[in-house]
Amino acid sequence: MTARQDEFERVAIPHSKGLLRVARRIASDTASAEDLVQETLFRAWRNFDQFQSGTNVRAWLFRILFNAFYAQGRRVSAAPIVVSLDAPGRSAEPQSRSGLSLADAAEVTNALGELSAEHRTVLLLAVVEGFTCREMAETLSLPIGTVMSRLSRGRQALRERLASAAPRVWEARAGAGRAEKEVR
Amino acid sequence: MNCNEMTELAPLYISGELESQSAAQFEAHLKGCGACRAEIEAQNGLDARLREALLAEEVDVSRVNRRVRGMIAADATEPIAPQVQRKSRRWVTAPLGIAAALVLLAAGYVLLPGRVARVYADAASDHRVEVVDQQPRRWVSDSAGIKALAEKQGIPGSVPVTLASGYRLERAKICWLDRRSFLHLVYSNGTGEFSLYLRTREGNLLPGAVRGIANGRLLHASSAGSENVSSFETPQLIAVVVTDQTADAAQRFAKAVSAAI
Repeated sequence: MTARQDEFERVAIPHSKGLLRVARRIASDTASAEDLVQETLFRAWRNFDQFQSGTNVRAWLFRILFNAFYAQGRRVSAAPIVVSLDAPGRSAEPQSRSGLSLADAAEVTNALGELSAEHRTVLLLAVVEGFTCREMAETLSLPIGTVMSRLSRGRQALRERLASAAPRVWEARAGAGRAEKEVR
Repeated sequence: MNCNEMTELAPLYISGELESQSAAQFEAHLKGCGACRAEIEAQNGLDARLREALLAEEVDVSRVNRRVRGMIAADATEPIAPQVQRKSRRWVTAPLGIAAALVLLAAGYVLLPGRVARVYADAASDHRVEVVDQQPRRWVSDSAGIKALAEKQGIPGSVPVTLASGYRLERAKICWLDRRSFLHLVYSNGTGEFSLYLRTREGNLLPGAVRGIANGRLLHASSAGSENVSSFETPQLIAVVVTDQTADAAQRFAKAVSAAI
């Protein structure tokens, strides 16, 4: 293995999970999502010389992912990929590892799938992958103001969908939000 | 800070990006305003819910990582630079060449207008004349005859008769693209037709922007006239797909072919 391969393995490969998690929510099926991540990482490898170590590798990889996705004119999936949470080894009780019931988790992911591609993208990056607004602006080549307004509107839209589709999930959350706040 | 400003700045507050003075003002407002406090709590609660739901999902990257490592290993052992200098230019229109194809690959995946690799230009024109315009040609349409043609061309294995996309092999002939003989196969689903050109690979590097990946193979895309071209290499073969349908259709068809050979 060359030094460049070692470096790529250390710097870029660990991000494949986050890339795939997001790709699965924007691509039309699991195979396309995997193809997209594979393509992203291979493009990154080919351009690895241009990547400056010490800069934000995650933002760079996600930028390649979105460029690849939109350059190919791929359509953002209208519905989310159904991913089984019932992995082997789980307890029979329909409870995900976070303690959220599977039905509730499904309500959340369904609601996310109903959002526009713009809203879904910023929510995935900000909330799930932990991007700052500045990182998203860089990744998506958007002004930061646009990112902020998409994020606000995306949160609003997701809330409205959850409130109408699954009031129970939403009610439970109001309390949890408060609890989390107090911990900080 | 008023409530409107609070709404505007909320994303920066939640992501921890507000600088200290603004953050202090933001929190001061929160203390005195129940509506804004409830709003931020609701947003935090929503985020927590979304995060929990998505992070609970199994994300298995083993297949992707394995494929990427394989592609990288192949790429690393066969460096790009020496290939540019090798005599593999016959596949590309001089003086653009492979170097430029690679630059384009890096620069934005668009082939410059008017610069279409000869093999693709020939394939597009062949498809136009023989398939779209249906100029009279001597085709072979029985399976034994097609098999014999493929063997004569040294194509290993058997050519796919049906493809997952609902297309069936209808007819075949030998044709010449960029002064080389290819097995020209025509697939039809009753309404649309695709041409597939196959030839044994001789270490050539296919030109064209990389537009996708199928079964670990890079899919190259190009267009010439009203035809769209998608091509890929296997260890033994070069495959070029041509259609007068969209570039997406060409790519989908190439993926189906790639899965079958």
